[in-house]
Amino acid sequence: MLLLQIESIADALNSSEWVFPITECFHIAAFAWSIGLIAAVDYRLLGFGIQHSKPSEVLRDTAPWTLLGLAVVLLSGPILFLSDVRMYLHNPSFVFKMYALAAAILFNYTIHRKVAQSDSSSQAARVVTAIVSLALWISVVFGGLFIAFA
Amino acid sequence: MLLSFAQMLLSFAQWIQFTPLFTALRGSANVYPIIMSLHMVGLALFGGMILMTDLRLLGWAMRKRSIADVINQFRVPKRWGLLLTATCGILMAGSKAEEYYYNAFFRAKLILFAVVIVQELVFYRSVYANPAVLDRSPSVPGNAKLAAALSLLLWTSIACCGRGIGYIEPPLDKIHAQMQGIRDAALVPRGLYFLKGQDHPNVASAN
Repeated sequence: MLLLQIESIADALNSSEWVFPITECFHIAAFAWSIGLIAAVDYRLLGFGIQHSKPSEVLRDTAPWTLLGLAVVLLSGPILFLSDVRMYLHNPSFVFKMYALAAAILFNYTIHRKVAQSDSSSQAARVVTAIVSLALWISVVFGGLFIAFA
Repeated sequence: MLLSFAQMLLSFAQWIQFTPLFTALRGSANVYPIIMSLHMVGLALFGGMILMTDLRLLGWAMRKRSIADVINQFRVPKRWGLLLTATCGILMAGSKAEEYYYNAFFRAKLILFAVVIVQELVFYRSVYANPAVLDRSPSVPGNAKLAAALSLLLWTSIACCGRGIGYIEPPLDKIHAQMQGIRDAALVPRGLYFLKGQDHPNVASAN
């Protein structure tokens, strides 16, 4: 029954050849948007540029826009997924991407946020947090791109 | 004149993709997707910084910070992001240069790059070069907002065209065969094709 419903959604999505590419454009623009802004916080934590602001200020300035970008990513992503559920579930890159994404979001809104919010966090904590954050988000991007090559 | 310029571009594309570096790149199964992924990572790093600058100029984000502060602080990370994206982009385009030459989205992307450069030059003095002046006016001047809106629109379009490149695969084999046909036709008189019982290539391609 569920499978049947998914199939009909897929048919609707695949009925126009423009739905997928346009959704994909939103997905790409929004991931650049959100990951780029998270990277801005990471740059600040690493001490690479953006030195005039405290980490907490960079976080506060970017957070609403990061959330908006993530919302668009997380809305457009499932539309792409539903266009060919079976292919994605059998695609190892896709599975990897989902785990990486879950880890990245979790990390971003727990440890990453804590460290960036506290202007007294140690240099070591900042550097480690920024590197883990960048590594997680870069894995998500790699996982997404390799879906097409898996 | 225009035709010969196009031919020059095509010859350049055909030559550059067979240089050792690009030949090796094209042949490797893993390096190409890795470069593509790094291109996307660069897109995020570069795009995020552009976005912050443009949102500040539009007066939508970070209104408490001065424009000069935002533009100057994001400048260095933005350039590194651009460097990464551009390097990977050139590597990708170079290894499939002939195919890209025929790709409509790649052509559109190049035109948009030209437009972005013009946009930067037009607004360079009034907006980007001395943002401190912008901070002195009570609200963000209209031309700065226009520059930001154009920048957002252009870079988003460039990203979408970039994705579009992957959707088109120009039929190189067919194009080559057709060109060979035109070359043959120029050499062989029409009558010979008739004698050989074949269609003249120009006639065949017209059909």
